Amino acid sequence: MNGLFLLLFLISAALITVRDPSAFLPALLDGAKDAIALCLTLAAIYAVWLGFLRIAQDAGLLCGMARLMKKPIRKLFHVEKEEAIEQIAVNLSANFLGMGGAATPAGIRAMELLGQEQRSQYARAMLFVVNCSGFQLLPTTVLALRAQLFAASPYEIVFPIFLSTLCALLIGIALVKLVYGRKCA
Amino acid sequence: MNPAAYILPCLFFAVFCAAAFRKVKLYDSFAEGVKGVVPLLKSLFPYLAAILILASLFEASGLSAGLSKALAPVFTALGIPSEICGLVLIKPFSGSGSLALLSEILQNYGADSYIGRCACIVYSTGETVFYMSALYFAQKKEKSSALPVALAIVSNFIAIVLGCLFCRIF
Repeated sequence: MNGLFLLLFLISAALITVRDPSAFLPALLDGAKDAIALCLTLAAIYAVWLGFLRIAQDAGLLCGMARLMKKPIRKLFHVEKEEAIEQIAVNLSANFLGMGGAATPAGIRAMELLGQEQRSQYARAMLFVVNCSGFQLLPTTVLALRAQLFAASPYEIVFPIFLSTLCALLIGIALVKLVYGRKCA
Repeated sequence: MNPAAYILPCLFFAVFCAAAFRKVKLYDSFAEGVKGVVPLLKSLFPYLAAILILASLFEASGLSAGLSKALAPVFTALGIPSEICGLVLIKPFSGSGSLALLSEILQNYGADSYIGRCACIVYSTGETVFYMSALYFAQKKEKSSALPVALAIVSNFIAIVLGCLFCRIF
């Protein structure tokens, strides 16, 4: 990551200096502004979802859900800890239902908990890749945008998207198994 | 009204009722959960800022436009229309940027066109990987986040190529 960061930064900085040096600092500040705006949005989203999830947890609902999904999660992630399984269950089901706001805090908690597992690198990579596939039941953002722009059939795209995100998910899982399976075995 | 819009309110309603039924102190419990927001953001912000500053520079310098021009022949060979190369490149870096680009493409070429449908596939397949890596690998100092990031990008890219193929079949 550090190497990539340096490489991209240097090339971009060199390019912008050649083209328009006065645009350099505004570009950096724009990025920082984006980060602050995003943090505010995230704070609002997390405040709602973390509160909600805590209630679900205290009511024992998360445990119930984790119990349902325990077997496949254990198999895929090689984790034993109840708490980690619980967070992964929340993360996966929220992702699947398109509730990204609930998925991210649970995912971050899970990453933290997975850090203490035996095969932590494998499990963390697996969770990350699964989260990056964009797999969900209904791609709500795209549908809303298509409906807004008067597509003849906004829903027509659902099936191809479902297939391609499923591909991303499966290929991702296979790659992680391939790369880390060999490393850790 | 979209029927999916009913899911969330019903979910909240059901969970709150179930919690009340099991004698959870709702008010205290909710506040206890919200308490986790500040430490979470505190650990995320530095990484988010670094990634987004880089993304902004990446776009402003014209590097992303230049790269997409250079890679266009490769993408066309794989069946990705050259009009959406920029979208494929910006997608791993910026969610809002790629959403803006998607709506521009849909407006220019029509939401029902082949290009428009491919653009929808590209936008939906895969998350903003670098932003996600900032979130997910922020907690622990980890040297090895490059490998998972590479795996995610490779699998998403293959899926995008396949997705454009699906667009032609269906």
